[in-house]
Amino acid sequence: MKWLITVYGTASPTGSGQSGDLTLTSPDVYGNFTLIRVPKGLKAKVWAKRLAGTAGFTLQIQVSDDVTASAPTWYVVDSEHLSGAGSLELEKRRPIVVQARTGKEGIKLSYANTTGVGTIYAVVEVELTDED
Amino acid sequence: MSYQSDEFGLVPEGGYLTIYIPATTGAVVFRVKSRVNKGYEVLNYGPLPISSGTSLPTYDGTSTTVPADGVLPARAYVRDGIQFPPIVSGTYSNTDMWHTPEDEGDRLYHVKLYVYPAVVRVDVQVPSRVTQGRFQKGRVITGVDSEFGFGRGFIEMVHMPYIQYGYRFGNDTNLNLKTFVRFVYGEYIVEVPKSPELIFEVLSRRVPSYWLTIPISYIDPLIMETFRRVYGFPIRANTPQLFRIYRYDERDRALREYAEILGQLKV
Repeated sequence: MKWLITVYGTASPTGSGQSGDLTLTSPDVYGNFTLIRVPKGLKAKVWAKRLAGTAGFTLQIQVSDDVTASAPTWYVVDSEHLSGAGSLELEKRRPIVVQARTGKEGIKLSYANTTGVGTIYAVVEVELTDED
Repeated sequence: MSYQSDEFGLVPEGGYLTIYIPATTGAVVFRVKSRVNKGYEVLNYGPLPISSGTSLPTYDGTSTTVPADGVLPARAYVRDGIQFPPIVSGTYSNTDMWHTPEDEGDRLYHVKLYVYPAVVRVDVQVPSRVTQGRFQKGRVITGVDSEFGFGRGFIEMVHMPYIQYGYRFGNDTNLNLKTFVRFVYGEYIVEVPKSPELIFEVLSRRVPSYWLTIPISYIDPLIMETFRRVYGFPIRANTPQLFRIYRYDERDRALREYAEILGQLKV
């Protein structure tokens, strides 16, 4: 079993030094969301990342072991930086793998260290699978 | 693809289909005389037939509302199995496209249900509203609403006449999933082979056959009635007497029993 979900995130920082979570959408999902909770026994594999926007845009992939907590603890597992205005595509790398041991694990996308204003975009491909 | 099945995983003409029912410790052997929809096996159904506004229970002990037609809400599951209303007019039932009446005993629908996204949990109630997932002699009921006893994204069934199944789905992600269902199916014209020897050889796995276990661990009266009314299987102790699987050294006993059953069958 595997499901490849393409996730789109965008934000519009209004000044430098801002950070936050990306609001996400997907053609397979009704409505917006901010994280993907991984069902117990499955793995989430982050295969590809695309960034676009202003210089200084940093995309972070963060993971939590328990998204059901009132204040989940998140840790950064990957960070990609856009040094100049434009786009960056990172595909066919070794995936970031998150194994759901309890079914409470989750992934979210964040932006940080924005040095400018304007809209930033991120596209991430995540596979949910029970295969290694 | 093999002798028992083709590239769709369906039984070719002249092949055998063995349906094993765990609760009866027996099986039914069918010979596929013809496949009516050969070459047209794929049926793109559409979204799951769950309507906007429907209230569904969640894995977190609450309930939630379906936000739009065909959307399986985050953390929600379908408690009572659903049928698939036909997408064309003129079928026997306007609520279940796989339902046929009891006098259609020479027809079987071999249905492979794919639900997208494949992360969706799926199980089937036989008949509808009777959950068949059992653990430790029925001490625990399992299924999409439990920790185990379900598949994800796929289930394979054979639809017999008279009885209606209920498919259940669950979404243990936090996302409101837009769903889609694709069926790969075979409409078979079938017969039960009239030779006890052949049935014994099939059940001994000496004659190739496509085996499918229908997850029936509890014999609901409707299941009993289906085998009795549609096919004519005898009933003993509230259990249909199907073709039991015997050891090879019990061949003579098996042949006598099979001959006795075959004498009562309609198909």
